[in-house]
Amino acid sequence: MSKLLSANFMRLRKNKVFWGGILFMAAAGIYYPIGRYIGMKHDGYTAHLEDGFFICAVFAAVLLSVFCSLFVGTEYSDGTIRNKIIIGHKRTDLYLSNLLTNMATGAVMCMVWFAAYLCAGIPLLGFFQVRGAVILLLTIAVLLLSCAFSALFTMVSMLNASKAGAAVICMLVAFLLLFTGTYLNARLQEPETYPVYDYVVVGEDAADMAAGMQEVAAEEKNPHYVGGTKRKVYEFLYDFMPGGQAVQCSSMESERPHVLCLYSGIIFIIATSIGMAVFRRKDIK
Amino acid sequence: MEYVLKTNGLKKRYGHYKALNGLTMNVPKGSIYGFVGKNGAGKTTLIRLVCGLQEPTEGEFSIYGINNRQKEITKSRRRIGAVVETPSIYLGMTAEDNLKEQYRILGMPSFDGIAHVLNLVGLENTGKKKAKNFSLGMRQRLGIAIALAGDPDFLILDEPVNGLDPQGIVETRELILKLNQEYGITVLISSHILDELAKLATYFGFIDSGHMVKEISAAELEAACRKCIHVTVSSTEILSQVLDEAGLEYTILSDKEANLFGEISVTELTLKLAERHCQIHSMRERDESLEHYYIDLVGGGKHE
Repeated sequence: MSKLLSANFMRLRKNKVFWGGILFMAAAGIYYPIGRYIGMKHDGYTAHLEDGFFICAVFAAVLLSVFCSLFVGTEYSDGTIRNKIIIGHKRTDLYLSNLLTNMATGAVMCMVWFAAYLCAGIPLLGFFQVRGAVILLLTIAVLLLSCAFSALFTMVSMLNASKAGAAVICMLVAFLLLFTGTYLNARLQEPETYPVYDYVVVGEDAADMAAGMQEVAAEEKNPHYVGGTKRKVYEFLYDFMPGGQAVQCSSMESERPHVLCLYSGIIFIIATSIGMAVFRRKDIK
Repeated sequence: MEYVLKTNGLKKRYGHYKALNGLTMNVPKGSIYGFVGKNGAGKTTLIRLVCGLQEPTEGEFSIYGINNRQKEITKSRRRIGAVVETPSIYLGMTAEDNLKEQYRILGMPSFDGIAHVLNLVGLENTGKKKAKNFSLGMRQRLGIAIALAGDPDFLILDEPVNGLDPQGIVETRELILKLNQEYGITVLISSHILDELAKLATYFGFIDSGHMVKEISAAELEAACRKCIHVTVSSTEILSQVLDEAGLEYTILSDKEANLFGEISVTELTLKLAERHCQIHSMRERDESLEHYYIDLVGGGKHE
């Protein structure tokens, strides 16, 4: 497999999509803290370095969907996947070498974001305000999440011989997961009750009505609140699905980053197992 | 005779469609094996199975004596170079980069052989031109160069001259002959351009509807395609007596049909047969090409 990896990494060095992704992450990583700093100065709110530090999870999901499908898809569209099989490489090795290349690409993209963000952010916003352990755990969660996304997109790309088809499916999956994550976040953020303000007249003189009004607050049930078993299912999906994880990481709202790491690992194993099992039997033209 | 590739009752089904239906073939070592068949006959399917791109539904094959069910089949595949349908090349790379990529996949210790391979296929002067800007013939030759990267003993070419201009066809033919004659590489070529195959192949395999109709050497084919007179008579027994007396060479095809070779006096033959009450129903000159032979073999329409 080392031969296949060596060939993949050499191809990666000349891959325009890869360099495009790296440039985007570097540019966005520099722009984001500068934007926060300008906003802070202009609007007067306080911004911390960590506020947008993990938003790269969302960018990585979208960029990986494009990269994985095009990098692997080229093997099908140019027919070069045949060269690897004809000369006797095992299909498992072929699958894993592409997966490892995609994972490495995801990790490099995230690292570039982190480096660019810190270089631009520390001088402008100072250092992290939260504990180092939290940052470390979330960094691991984001890297594992990018591995889970890589595994999903590798599976789609390796099992779909059409480069364009794989690209469309991967991007749809990425956006669908992210939108689902955002939706689950919005539903779970709904409060169980909300205060209802009523105004009652306490004075008898109608002319003095305004003076005699009194505000009465009461808690009313929120019809949009998700409760019971449905809430548990929503919470599980929000933690388990990569889109939900990306939203949680980017907003740093996860209370259990280690659980996200575990779920990313499970998604990675499931996607890779299914992908390899089907690819081993796949007829290649 | 030593065989590079042997298949036995090979079957491949796609759903209900039988692409290969018990194909048995033998590719002798050192030969240029012309694999002849119309579109959809199963040529490419067989090549895909041999190359490991697909698995057979039934039957077996062996490459250099290693059965496809043995684990060692991957090792014996390392002796194969193949161009299946379209050349497998990275279109965004130069010819040299494509070969470097293949060398890495093969785990070759150095890139020293690349210049030689490029020279062999006539792509030594392509410089930084990317493969997507190559002509069809150049891409085909680059595909062959990649197939040659691992110094294979057995080269499989699927429709190598399809879509090429006359010059491209000549160049590809010369390259294949050079690889076979100078480097001793066994070549399996699938094609339906029969005239081109006739100039190259030393063995022929005729496939139709997924099974082998006939395997024949070029020498046997040449004999079968000799110029002759095909006659239909009332009795080939009487015909053979007359021909034996005249000392003529002939082949009896059935009790009413025969092929006559050499210079024949039609009047004399007719009179002699008439004396023995043998009627001539038809008589026509036959100068068979590979194309005629193939059509006769598989029939013009659907062959079951």
